[in-house]
Amino acid sequence: MFLLNARITAMREVARGMAVISMAAPEIAAIVRAGQFVNLGWAGVFLRRPFSVYRADGERIEVVLKAVGRGTSQLLAMGPGDVISCLGPLGHGFDLEAGSRTAVLISGGLGVAPMPLAAKEASALGMRVTWVHGARSIEELCSESAGDEVIWATDDGSRGIAGTAISAAPDGDVVLACGPNRMLAAVADRWPEALVAVETYMGCGTGVCLGCAVPLTRGGYDRACKEGPVYRAADIDWAALPSHLSYAVTV
Amino acid sequence: MTVDMSVAVAGMKLRSPVLAASGAFGYGTEVPLLDRRALGGMVSKGIFLRPRTGSSPPRIVETPSGMLNAIGLQGPGVDALIRDYAPQWASWDFPVLVNINGESVSEYGDLVARLDGVPGVAGFEINISCPNVEQGGLYFGNDPRAAAAVTEAVRKRTTLPVWVKLTPMVTDIGVIARAVEGAGADALCAVNTFVGMSIDLNTYKPRLSFRTGGLSGPAIRPLAIHLAHQAARAVRIPVIGIGGVTNAEDALEFLVAGCSAVQVGTATFVNPRAIAEIHDGISAHLELRHLNSLAELPRYLPRD
Repeated sequence: MFLLNARITAMREVARGMAVISMAAPEIAAIVRAGQFVNLGWAGVFLRRPFSVYRADGERIEVVLKAVGRGTSQLLAMGPGDVISCLGPLGHGFDLEAGSRTAVLISGGLGVAPMPLAAKEASALGMRVTWVHGARSIEELCSESAGDEVIWATDDGSRGIAGTAISAAPDGDVVLACGPNRMLAAVADRWPEALVAVETYMGCGTGVCLGCAVPLTRGGYDRACKEGPVYRAADIDWAALPSHLSYAVTV
Repeated sequence: MTVDMSVAVAGMKLRSPVLAASGAFGYGTEVPLLDRRALGGMVSKGIFLRPRTGSSPPRIVETPSGMLNAIGLQGPGVDALIRDYAPQWASWDFPVLVNINGESVSEYGDLVARLDGVPGVAGFEINISCPNVEQGGLYFGNDPRAAAAVTEAVRKRTTLPVWVKLTPMVTDIGVIARAVEGAGADALCAVNTFVGMSIDLNTYKPRLSFRTGGLSGPAIRPLAIHLAHQAARAVRIPVIGIGGVTNAEDALEFLVAGCSAVQVGTATFVNPRAIAEIHDGISAHLELRHLNSLAELPRYLPRD
């Protein structure tokens, strides 16, 4: 785990109000795995904010975000040269094992966040990667993709299949999903063995505060920031997990 | 020049006046980027006799300059603490105090009796001030007789240091402080979180599933300094200041206001290096003022 002052190197818009921020964080870029996150802090917010690592190369990591509140608006207003405090990599990502032939990645809206890294790792293990890439409309659909095949899906049919990403998804040897918790609950119904990355409020991001409790089907809670944020879909008690986070309500 | 940063709290020698507050470091085994030389000691996450699952989520919400939490004292229970954590503490070069919780006076006493003499357990912080449990917690902290009864029950079961963590949710903290001192406490920790509430305007319901939570962070600091000062004026035993300490200046304010040491909690979530930075900042301040030791720091503590 590293605590760095990461300089923003680039920003690009990938959907309406959705941007990718690149920052120089070589120590984190070198070791981050798909599904892991960084906890970012900047002047103007008190607690850090967790972001899945979207892409990583030798020197830089990227995160994707949307303005959903005051803090994320401040972050989007920054630009190249500005510095963000970056703690990571954190959490337990997607455990992919060699031997599977096909990987299906399902994302809803901002759930694209861990997918480029996941596609890269799955490809490196010899899997054929299909990314089912969904959002409410074309305006909200992240324009970037990865993998061998991309299936676009929008609720209003403005791009690709009209309907949810889940209804558009084929079966695969492994299924990975990220999106609103209620979408992930539907993933759990169809693919109990899917690996899903959940979103919770977080305090420390490092396992000590117990703020990011995830209710488990076996009873009790564990920590999205430590044992998660990636879980076997059937292990989560979806009825007890808040179906949305208030700051993520964008309507 | 090396400044002597050590401090003795009721006979317990600490190498630094900066301690990790309960709930901020878990059981100390998973702390990121810990710089041990700066740490005077650690108070464990609160423990009950039995395991507790804690509150349902959401458990935390950010507020202006702070956060509300309602974790609900999730924990493995005392048997697991003795088995899994205390043996590790025994090899550490700073003392670990266990934050003690109970639903009844006798439960506090029984819990301390279980832990007394366990290698690795240096002392106890008696939590009579947790706002996030249905039974006990705050109830014991805002009644001087109940606070004294808990302290006495614990005092009878151990010769290790007994610190009592006070709630700010009282009319006169001096009354509680004196009651606890009279019942045999070695030191006071002031203060625990303030009870707060935040409403989600999408659902028209509280943001926390427990409805209310404990407010911590810089938002409470001036309130906490005042309460720690009031407690320190009221008693002769040491007071450890807690509440929104994020940097050395904050810590120095508590120390000047009459505290022997400080605990840092929420700040470590934001800045994993907070404790080291606070320690080094206090040392630099003393050096700048040509003070050879923390003991030489002027205090503002008129006695009641």
